[in-house]
Amino acid sequence: MSEKILYSYTGIFDTPDEVTHAAEEAVKQGYTKYDVNTPYPLHGMNKAMNLPPSKLGYVALIFGLSGALGGLLSLWWVSAIDYPLVIGGKPFFSFPAYIPVIFEVTVLSAAIATVLAMLFFFFKLPNNAHPLHATDYMKKVSVDKYGIVIQADDPKFDEASVRKFLERVHAKEINAVYWVEEEITHKHKIFEPKFLTFLLVVVIITSGTTYFSLNKLMFMLPFNWMMEQQKQNPQQKSLVFADGFGMRKPVEGTIARGFLPYEFQGQPDLAGEKLINPIPISKESLQLGQTKYDIYCSPCHGYQGEGDSRLRGQFPNPPSLHSEKVRTWSDGRIFAVLTDGQNIMPSYSTQLTVDERWTVINYVRALQRALNAKESDLQ
Amino acid sequence: MSTVDYTRELSVLEGKHALRELDDLIAKPLEIKPDKKFYIALAIALSMTGLLVLGLALTFYYGIGMWGNNIPVGWAFDIVNFVFWVGIGHAGTLISAILFLFRQKWRTGIARFAEGMTVFAVMTAGLFPLIHVGRPWLAGYLFPYPNQHSVWVNFTSPLLWDVFAVSTYLTVSLIFWYVGLIPDLAILRERTNHKIKKVIYSTFSLGWRFSNRHWQHYEMVYLILAGFATPLVLSVHTIVSFDFAVSVIPGWHTTIFPPYFVAGAVFSGFAMVQNVLIIVRKIFNYEQIITVDTLEKMNKIMLLTGSMVGYAYAMEFFISWYSGVEAERFVFLNRALGPYAWAYWIMVTCNVVSPQLFWFKKIRRTIPVMFVIAIFVNIGMWFERFVIIVTSLSRDFLPSSWAYYKPTLVDGMILIGSFGFFFTWILLFTKALPVVSMAEVKAVVDGAQPTHKDH
Amino acid sequence: MISSSVEYQKKELPSKVQTIGLGLLLVGLLIVVLGYVVNPERSAYNNIIGLTFLISIAVGSLFFVAIEFLSGAAWSTPFRRVGEFLSSTVWILPLLFIPLLLNVNTIFQWTHPAPADKTLIDKAPYLNVSFFVVRVIGFWLLWLLFYYLMIRNSRKQDQTKDQHLTKKNIKLSAIFMPLFALTISFTAIDWLMSIEPHWFSTIFGVYYFSGTILAALAIGAIFIVLLNERGFFVKGIHTDSYYSLGALIFAFTNFWAYIAFSQFLLIWYANLPEETFWFLARWEGNWKFFSVGLIIVHFLVPYIGLLSQPSKMNPKRLIFMSGWILFAHYYDLYWLVMPNFFKEEIPFSWIELGFPLLIAGLIILVFYYQAKRNNLVPIGDPKLKRGIDFRL
Repeated sequence: MSEKILYSYTGIFDTPDEVTHAAEEAVKQGYTKYDVNTPYPLHGMNKAMNLPPSKLGYVALIFGLSGALGGLLSLWWVSAIDYPLVIGGKPFFSFPAYIPVIFEVTVLSAAIATVLAMLFFFFKLPNNAHPLHATDYMKKVSVDKYGIVIQADDPKFDEASVRKFLERVHAKEINAVYWVEEEITHKHKIFEPKFLTFLLVVVIITSGTTYFSLNKLMFMLPFNWMMEQQKQNPQQKSLVFADGFGMRKPVEGTIARGFLPYEFQGQPDLAGEKLINPIPISKESLQLGQTKYDIYCSPCHGYQGEGDSRLRGQFPNPPSLHSEKVRTWSDGRIFAVLTDGQNIMPSYSTQLTVDERWTVINYVRALQRALNAKESDLQ
Repeated sequence: MSTVDYTRELSVLEGKHALRELDDLIAKPLEIKPDKKFYIALAIALSMTGLLVLGLALTFYYGIGMWGNNIPVGWAFDIVNFVFWVGIGHAGTLISAILFLFRQKWRTGIARFAEGMTVFAVMTAGLFPLIHVGRPWLAGYLFPYPNQHSVWVNFTSPLLWDVFAVSTYLTVSLIFWYVGLIPDLAILRERTNHKIKKVIYSTFSLGWRFSNRHWQHYEMVYLILAGFATPLVLSVHTIVSFDFAVSVIPGWHTTIFPPYFVAGAVFSGFAMVQNVLIIVRKIFNYEQIITVDTLEKMNKIMLLTGSMVGYAYAMEFFISWYSGVEAERFVFLNRALGPYAWAYWIMVTCNVVSPQLFWFKKIRRTIPVMFVIAIFVNIGMWFERFVIIVTSLSRDFLPSSWAYYKPTLVDGMILIGSFGFFFTWILLFTKALPVVSMAEVKAVVDGAQPTHKDH
Repeated sequence: MISSSVEYQKKELPSKVQTIGLGLLLVGLLIVVLGYVVNPERSAYNNIIGLTFLISIAVGSLFFVAIEFLSGAAWSTPFRRVGEFLSSTVWILPLLFIPLLLNVNTIFQWTHPAPADKTLIDKAPYLNVSFFVVRVIGFWLLWLLFYYLMIRNSRKQDQTKDQHLTKKNIKLSAIFMPLFALTISFTAIDWLMSIEPHWFSTIFGVYYFSGTILAALAIGAIFIVLLNERGFFVKGIHTDSYYSLGALIFAFTNFWAYIAFSQFLLIWYANLPEETFWFLARWEGNWKFFSVGLIIVHFLVPYIGLLSQPSKMNPKRLIFMSGWILFAHYYDLYWLVMPNFFKEEIPFSWIELGFPLLIAGLIILVFYYQAKRNNLVPIGDPKLKRGIDFRL
């Protein structure tokens, strides 16, 4: 066994007054690496030990302010920029309504940061390897005695004089505390097999439970009851009807609400003769027509209706809508194309309602007029 | 003849105690095997928790149609219980933070227990919004995180403020509690010879070594935490009151709600803490730590907050008439004279009338009487939330949809079960951790502090 | 007895104080009288602000005297006389409310409701002149009674050193508390809320209460710190006592902000026309800046000024912030009263200066004469020694 390394000298006192006095004397002696251990905080000890004021208030202030600012910015970004919703007729950025959340975030960040800063940065805890642990001294000062520690690495440390000093301030039990050898020589290794196994187990358990709960559990009873609703889904067998079909045809002689059958299937010319555009030209209807045109028609016919979309050359060229033929077509004839399709163009009757088709036609008319303006339009 | 000598500060503890004796007394429940009484109490609490589990299982399997809630009363027992339990959770932080800031030393004997109750009560309260949403396993969406739906939560909704307030409150209460526990865990670490216990205490006390260089920062942090916890505790019940008060429902929309809810929360919280402490001091022989003086002070606070609640009832009633708004006038008259008048008068009797008995010193210091009054207060405060929520909803703007709410069996099971849940935690707490802060109590014993000498 | 060990040498306030007080009083009185001659209506509006401000100080100080007895606080005992002297301004309240009672018709719309105004006619059982006068005078008498009883006991104790008197005052304080809560709330409703009789808010009493407490604390702090720094109290009082005072001011600054925010948020959020018009009147024209200013003046400045621990112990800082808070309370009352009469424009001229000067002069003079006749320290109080030895 090699020689033990001295950590400190300790002295024990019975009353708070004595230990306060000892601390004051230690300051006078010029010791800097010393400490006082008491079972509870003593009033006036900070002054006696001449400790500078705690800086933790600044930690709280800084983290509180950044919590507040971060809260404000993220609330603003979420509700005014990324996901604006009108709620209760309030503006997107409604500051009064943000105050509660900002306040909570401020408190949360300040409280957590202050405590963590204290424990891990100011105190460097957890530290169970400190030489004072597992000593008789610690057993006493944790209960009802008051102790002072003069550390060996103090520049003014000298075994004889420290011992004398402790005797002078009437310390009861004066002891030397030594470092525990294995704690000094012990090296923490990151790639310890035990630690790696532990990490592996943690990884398996967390990913396993996450996978199970998100991909399996949510699809079990009763968690999936949103999917199991008591209604008839398409293609399902019906228990109500004798023939077992869940999907039914309309009762004979009826039509669904808002649905009018198209009489001129395959008879575009007849449609051109018979059908009349019921939608009057107005700013709203033209705007709707433009929206729908830009969505459904422009990919082929182009935004100006000149058939100049980027499909040109990659496909049978889409025709221009400004040709003599289309210009002279009646609205009803164009309606027939939109409804039934023509050549390679499919039917748009499922994408556009009847009224929407008419507004698109109005818009096409406007495009045609714009390209072939008459003198009278200038007036 | 005046029995109090005002020239001396009252000691917090009764009698003379050596510091070591206090440690022994407080640590005793942790060092002996639990007795039969403990197991009986635990069995009762656990069977009540069983009711909760059963009620919740029925609710989740069949849906919240198992409850009495129905249009127009869409909020009922679930929200009543939530507000009730959050309210109970207010006393702990009040005692540990606000009384700390006011330097009321008598808080030391009861602070730890009250903080524990805060944590458990908020946990119990947290159950209710979760089950109230119907699909608690999807509750993760309550938190704003960048999800695959590109959808964010509504930050202007008081219900979301609740999520923030309650979760912040729980977190900060836990931190506060833990910071207070560190020195005590270190004391226990030094006391124990048991190998496993030693490991546990060493781990959780983080190697605390009672250094005054640490105590200095520690006290600072305690002050800072108290400084933050005080507005936090006010904010929590304020935000709970916003759940109601930002709406336009008569009887809910009234500006006094925030301070009124906070006062009510403290009121019921103190009643619950007082009830439990009376039992604890008896069982663990803490009569000299949790003294009758302390209980008397708690009763005074109950008298104060009870009167504040009474003030709010009266002011609401007066302003409902003064406002000249017909709907307001109707709602308040309907509370007092309508179909739920029985609940209203239970509330008034328990909350306003019964604490007035605390004007008498004799009653403030007689344990059985104060115990009963505190139970009344808790009943009354539960009914307060019931009256606010149910009466206003059951008579909404459309008379054709008026209805009388009746709770179902499952509602009752969940209510009783929530008490079981709460008390199970309390019972486990009394055997797992010191229910009185050893370090703090030792610090307020007579002669524990240096005598003041101005140098 | 321990209290006998306290050495107290009574010192007279310098006569300069009397001169200043008298000067302020005369200038203020001149402006007020002139104001009433030139523009009686506007003077009456200012009179309401002045009255409610003085009620804040007088009754608020009495509240603090009572709170000290009730809570058993010792740190404030050496300074209790300051609160007692300030609360004696209860006596001069009639000086400010009698001119108003003579002018009820100019300031209150509800004295003569328009025949079509159903709401106001409906409120007549509460809002009518005779009941109003009864309330005003009744509340005043009640305050006077408690002032008289508590202060009499406190002064008697200087001679007798009888602990019974403390006990008596504790009982009186307990009875005073609920009465205080009710009278101060209804004072707020009567003088401040009913100026706009269609508007209502259940928290309004608490709102005025929070301002009252702040004003009373602030003016108390000014006198306490000024006098203590010049050694008018007993020796050995530590700055820790200032800390308590500063912390209380800080706490109530937050409390005021909390109450004000609660009131605003709930009305803003629910957006009901019968409530919002009151805030809208304070958000039109120049009043917008005044309202934003209220947040800064009444909350942000005192909050930042008193946040740190050393700032609460610094005598200069404490006096400055207390003076600021008194200003803020006046500002708050101005914000409550004036927008009801002046739409979109903030009225400010020499007329507005009359009442602040008059009240400042009155308070200084009253304090001077009280300090001349009585001990500045309750030397018979059993808690005095503990109060002097108070440490955090």
